[in-house]
Amino acid sequence: MRNSTAAENEALFNGRNPSGPTPADRQAIFTRRNLFGATAAGLAVTSLGACATSGDDEDADEVTVGDDAENPFGVDGAAPLDVVIFDGGFGNEYAIAHQAIYNEAFPDAVITHLATQAIAETQQPRFAEGKPADVLDNSGAAQIPMDSLVSDGELAELTPLLDAPSYDDPEVTVRDTLRDGVLTAGTFNGEVYALNYVFSAWTVWYDGKLFRDQGWTAPTTWDEMLALCPQIIEAGIAPWTYAGQHPVYLYDLFLMLAGRHGGVEVLKAIDHLEPDAWRNESVVKAAEALAALYSAGYILDGTPGIDHIQSQTAFNERQAAFLPCGSWLPNEQSAIAPADFEYTPIGVPYLEGSVQPALISGGGDEPFVVPKNATNLAGAYEYLRIMLSQEGAQIFGDTVSAATVVKGVALENPAAQATDALVSNPDDLFQPMFRFWYTKMNEEVRPALGSLLAGESTAQEFLDRMQTVADETAADDTIEKFTHED
Amino acid sequence: MKHGRYPFILSFLALPVGLYAWLVVLPFAQAFQISLTDWSGSSNSFNYIGFDNYANLFKDDRLVLPALRHTGIILVVLPLVTIALGLFFAFMLNLGGRSRQGRIEGVRGARFHKVVFFFPQVLSVAIVGILWKQVYAPENFGGLITGALTAVGAPAPVNGFLADKRFVLAAVIAVLVWSAVGFYLVYFSSAMASIPRDLYEAGIIDGAGRLQMFFKITLPLLWDSVQTAWIYLSIVALDVFVLVYMMTPERGGPDTASEVVGGVIWKYAFNHAEQAFASAIGVVLFFAALTLAVVSLRFGPRERIEY
Repeated sequence: MRNSTAAENEALFNGRNPSGPTPADRQAIFTRRNLFGATAAGLAVTSLGACATSGDDEDADEVTVGDDAENPFGVDGAAPLDVVIFDGGFGNEYAIAHQAIYNEAFPDAVITHLATQAIAETQQPRFAEGKPADVLDNSGAAQIPMDSLVSDGELAELTPLLDAPSYDDPEVTVRDTLRDGVLTAGTFNGEVYALNYVFSAWTVWYDGKLFRDQGWTAPTTWDEMLALCPQIIEAGIAPWTYAGQHPVYLYDLFLMLAGRHGGVEVLKAIDHLEPDAWRNESVVKAAEALAALYSAGYILDGTPGIDHIQSQTAFNERQAAFLPCGSWLPNEQSAIAPADFEYTPIGVPYLEGSVQPALISGGGDEPFVVPKNATNLAGAYEYLRIMLSQEGAQIFGDTVSAATVVKGVALENPAAQATDALVSNPDDLFQPMFRFWYTKMNEEVRPALGSLLAGESTAQEFLDRMQTVADETAADDTIEKFTHED
Repeated sequence: MKHGRYPFILSFLALPVGLYAWLVVLPFAQAFQISLTDWSGSSNSFNYIGFDNYANLFKDDRLVLPALRHTGIILVVLPLVTIALGLFFAFMLNLGGRSRQGRIEGVRGARFHKVVFFFPQVLSVAIVGILWKQVYAPENFGGLITGALTAVGAPAPVNGFLADKRFVLAAVIAVLVWSAVGFYLVYFSSAMASIPRDLYEAGIIDGAGRLQMFFKITLPLLWDSVQTAWIYLSIVALDVFVLVYMMTPERGGPDTASEVVGGVIWKYAFNHAEQAFASAIGVVLFFAALTLAVVSLRFGPRERIEY
């Protein structure tokens, strides 16, 4: 073997062929360049064809209400139905029962049932390709923002459903079987796009048994609540806890405190992004009251760091006396709460000088939508009509111990009955909407509230922050604006 | 290579390259296209709006700018700490022990330590997230660290580490380091194993202590591996998302205190229904990663040393 020259050593060192580039090497470079160019050209051509954004764009069908009381939408009995349910606090057992009822009327229809918590991740691509589900329970943390679906024109209007004869009594329309004020949350600029199925109220909960044992009376005013707190602490219990990691649980607590004090117009001003809506005296008082809860030490230690299940479990274990939560609380904690736990809801204890002390955030929740491009539109409407029947509502009430938006369904559950009593006056029902209407504000109000109750910001800083984002949203013309109709 | 080999080779490459182009390159290309529109992600109509998304991206101080800042911090800290710890442990477990009968070996129990340090690699990242969420929990709710700190009388954040703006980013980085060190320990161990022992023996004869052995012998010979490790860890740092998603409140820390670019892309795509904007952020991330890779490879491996 001959010894390598210096040049050859150099080449070896640097990973090159020591005898210089061979014809094959030159060809390789040539070919590589060619390949690269060809791939790039190919990509440019094929990318448009395989686009994520090129979905079907057929015209959507319209559904009209016919004369047949049994089948007013003209459902094709053989057509399949695609139902997607949010598998959250209410579970999906009720949906399976509803589907069984649908199958009684249309035995040949194959129903695809999907229960998931990842609504946006599973359903957004379907909307994008133009093949969405027929019925979608658009709820939960991964909800597809309703304002975007409405602005994109992706949802079918629900007037055909509401004008149709109800399932049980053909003389009465579906609209008339519903409780007052439950369609508001699903109404965007006068059109109903979402059927909120559950009648839910955001209330403050306490354990009836604990209060009875300790000889405490449930407070009706904020001052009464503050007077009770030292007694609660003496018993070794923290007065308040909440889902610290999800400050949205404080949204209705705060807004009802403000609304009760100044009247519902205060809250409408906030929803309408009016200038200085957040500087209103009632809003300021409410923010200061909540900030004072923290500074007085009335919140369970560690609350800002826990999630909803941990806070609810602490509440069940009687580590805290009051918990702000929605009507799904008893059902969500059913496996965890002790058997003698007596869930009792009360409205937010109102501040002194409140002009509307019975105001409560209640109305429809759990929005069911029908996508415009659904394959079986008529079937979707029929399915919703079944859900709104007396039988359908009773099934829901029995399985999850919560009320639906249908009138006249008797509930045995004491918590649901107590909630019913709280929401008896439709004039006192109001759902603050800005967190559903404006994603920007939704994203801001959560950390702002969390920060306020964790003592990290003052009431003034909180209000400044919210006013700033409200002004930005109001000034941004690319965001579609919504209003309360009444 | 002879003529006629190329069609043969290409026929083997066609399928994998095709799959790669279809599943990886094409979505990248579409991301560029989508970032020039206002697509929400849940409809099949959209308008082209030019570079507006990119302009707005750098002005968004609520989510994007904090995310860029935090990802930048992780990008600097994670490789530094992980490699330093990995090198230290590898050195101690392979060469740092007192030489018995002239043999160079690791500290006592080296084999046991190797297994224990590698253990986090075996856990899936979701489990790591849930595990550490509980470890960092507030004392009232069974947090291990806060409980231990209060037991010895040290101050501990009352809401746990993850709900505290000051600590959440450091907490996330700590978990990342914990799960990565084991791999790099093994990686550097195997690299160290190829260093001939006689170099060390020569060093000991010349009176070198452990520190000098490390910095003068081990580190220069391992430089190749350190560079590779640095590139890998930089990419991991740019991709951090799952831990932030699983452990932190509101999937991004209290008041966006630990938002990262991956998380912000996810939020804009799925929570805000602004997929086009998310794509724009993704494109920016792509170019950042590309720049990083190019820069790392330019300051690339030094000449190979033969021994």
